[in-house]
Amino acid sequence: MYRYDAIDRSVIQDRSAEFRDQVERRLSGALTEEHFKPLRLMNGLYLQLHAYMLRVAIPYGALSSDQLRGLARIGRIYDKGYGHFTTRQNLQFNWIRLEQTPDILDALAEVDLHAIQTSGNCIRNTTSDPYAGATAEEVDDPRVWCEAIRQWSTLHPEFSYLPRKFKIAVTAAPQDRTAAKVHDIGLVLRRDRDGQLGFEVMVGGGMGRTPYLGTTIREHLPVQSLLSYLSAILRVYNRHGRRDNIFKARVKILVAALGAGEFARQVEAEWTTMDRVAVDLPDVELARIRGAFSYVRFVDASPVSSSLEAARRADPTLGRFVRNNVKPHKIAGHAIVNISLKTPGEVPGDCSSDQMDAIANLADQYGYGEIRVTHEQNLVLPHVKLDDLAAVHAGLKAAGLACPNVGLASDIIACPGLDYCSLANTRAIPVAQSIAQRFSMPDVAESVGELKIKISGCINACGHHHVGHIGILGVDKKGEEFFQLTLGGSGAEDASLGDVLGPAVAYDQVTPAVDALVQAYLRERRGAERFLDTYRRVGLTPFKAAVYAEAH
Amino acid sequence: MSLAAVTASDLRDGEVVFWAEGRWVKRFADAELFNAVEPGQAALDLARAQPTIVVEPYLINLDLEGGVPVPTSYRERVRALGPTIHPEMGKQAEGGLVVQALRAHAGGARSSGRLGLIRLKR
Ligand code: SF4
Repeated sequence: MYRYDAIDRSVIQDRSAEFRDQVERRLSGALTEEHFKPLRLMNGLYLQLHAYMLRVAIPYGALSSDQLRGLARIGRIYDKGYGHFTTRQNLQFNWIRLEQTPDILDALAEVDLHAIQTSGNCIRNTTSDPYAGATAEEVDDPRVWCEAIRQWSTLHPEFSYLPRKFKIAVTAAPQDRTAAKVHDIGLVLRRDRDGQLGFEVMVGGGMGRTPYLGTTIREHLPVQSLLSYLSAILRVYNRHGRRDNIFKARVKILVAALGAGEFARQVEAEWTTMDRVAVDLPDVELARIRGAFSYVRFVDASPVSSSLEAARRADPTLGRFVRNNVKPHKIAGHAIVNISLKTPGEVPGDCSSDQMDAIANLADQYGYGEIRVTHEQNLVLPHVKLDDLAAVHAGLKAAGLACPNVGLASDIIACPGLDYCSLANTRAIPVAQSIAQRFSMPDVAESVGELKIKISGCINACGHHHVGHIGILGVDKKGEEFFQLTLGGSGAEDASLGDVLGPAVAYDQVTPAVDALVQAYLRERRGAERFLDTYRRVGLTPFKAAVYAEAH
Repeated sequence: MSLAAVTASDLRDGEVVFWAEGRWVKRFADAELFNAVEPGQAALDLARAQPTIVVEPYLINLDLEGGVPVPTSYRERVRALGPTIHPEMGKQAEGGLVVQALRAHAGGARSSGRLGLIRLKR
């Protein structure tokens, strides 16, 4: 992993000291709330329904075991002993006190963490592939480029007051685990025919009330030009973005208004005339960053583990866990282990401090001390030896974290919704819990297969409902919680936005409706089709008939 | 004007608080109730004059649930209770009659609990 140097450290320590002073001035009355609010937001501190909420940045979703332990400790001392992993690979603490926040920022800084770039109209924390450095699919390690973006974008004076927030995703594998096409900029690393690394640059994707998929404006940007090209995009956006209207201020609206062709032309014009050398990363620095990510010295391991095979035969729950949560690794004898934070009955994305400690210990013992966060609100141990899988499974089981449901119907994304969020129309978590309960029998979930259900408590779409195979959006209908269902969305490489099924259904009808959708799928399914494939083949009609016949 | 109360967030800890005769109380059951425009507005003005104690005070509409006053808006009931998914967290942990009434009441799901902005099925 990338380790902070003295400069990185001094930046976050200074920031923490600065915030301490700002908090003191707010408490004394020297700063009004109006003046203070933007300052606290720049440090990830929101005021929610029950308390302050602190959103901690987890750069490109990568954590060391010490960092996870640091988060566990903060949860224990300053919160109620848990944290919530979000759809942006960040962590939120829900019960924070303003007067303690400077101490929390200091505690974060001790483990090289902070809350910068988690709020405000700046370049937010970059999303990346949680399998980076572990999957054989990737053409390069995307974290190298994410770290370059982090260093360039953090406190960037020109891009700290953009028209709106700005999100970038970087992936280097054909299977997209970052939802790149619904980011303001999605970057896909590829090699061209000559073997040269380059980025496909997509702009203007996003969710919220006006969802768009990103459009490609450059097929193959030479990697060494990344930062100057990003600067050119941001300059065009900074110049023409709609600062007058918050609903039209995201770059997706600008791209749609200008047309992708014209937007691309302006970016190219800006890029050709700018001083690129001043912006692009020198090779030495790139090599330094790259070096930081190649420290894992994988030990030799046999490609087939006889101990694992024996353990699987003895314990069917291990077999199921391996089938659903474990993915192939680039190094023989190793595997990627997904840890589901979606045990039916639990809150999606929530993790107790004790669980964080347990995961950190497993990472130290069996996983080179590394943990990743996924945008699907799960965690990953990216490098585990096959010989150690049974022990890791046992450790997870002891911590209540061995649910074998990754990618299945009970692995549901849900935003905090009205249980915490002050912008919500409806709750999202109990809706997820009810559906997860319906598919809690592992056999049932496995027979349904891959099914991505995503729930948002309002149109801001933090729960990514637009790209759910089944998307669920909470709306207010005459004072009652209602839920609009969409079908056929995807945030993966086959990205698409969901289609509205029909009239919204009441709170207690959501689970029966989802059940009816699944039954319709099982009736229509051909061969190994996923829910999404069947929907794409047959369209809305059979699903509509199923839901509105049975649930209404 | 129907029944109303004044609520805000405590500046230091962010906790939900209610106005009660010049003080801030943590339980909705202890909130001062207003049934006329002037005293409600007067309390709000006093509350707004305390920017180092609370953040953004505002008036909320109340209904009656079995004779017990409760916020009209679902959002405000969640604030007065705590997360619905964690009955052991927040103010609801204490239990009691008012907490029961808050839980029993229905409607008003719209995000803003502020006076005059709630659409209601009547
Ligand atoms: S989607 Fe809406 S309710 Fe959910 S977290 Fe985002 S803003 Fe809050």
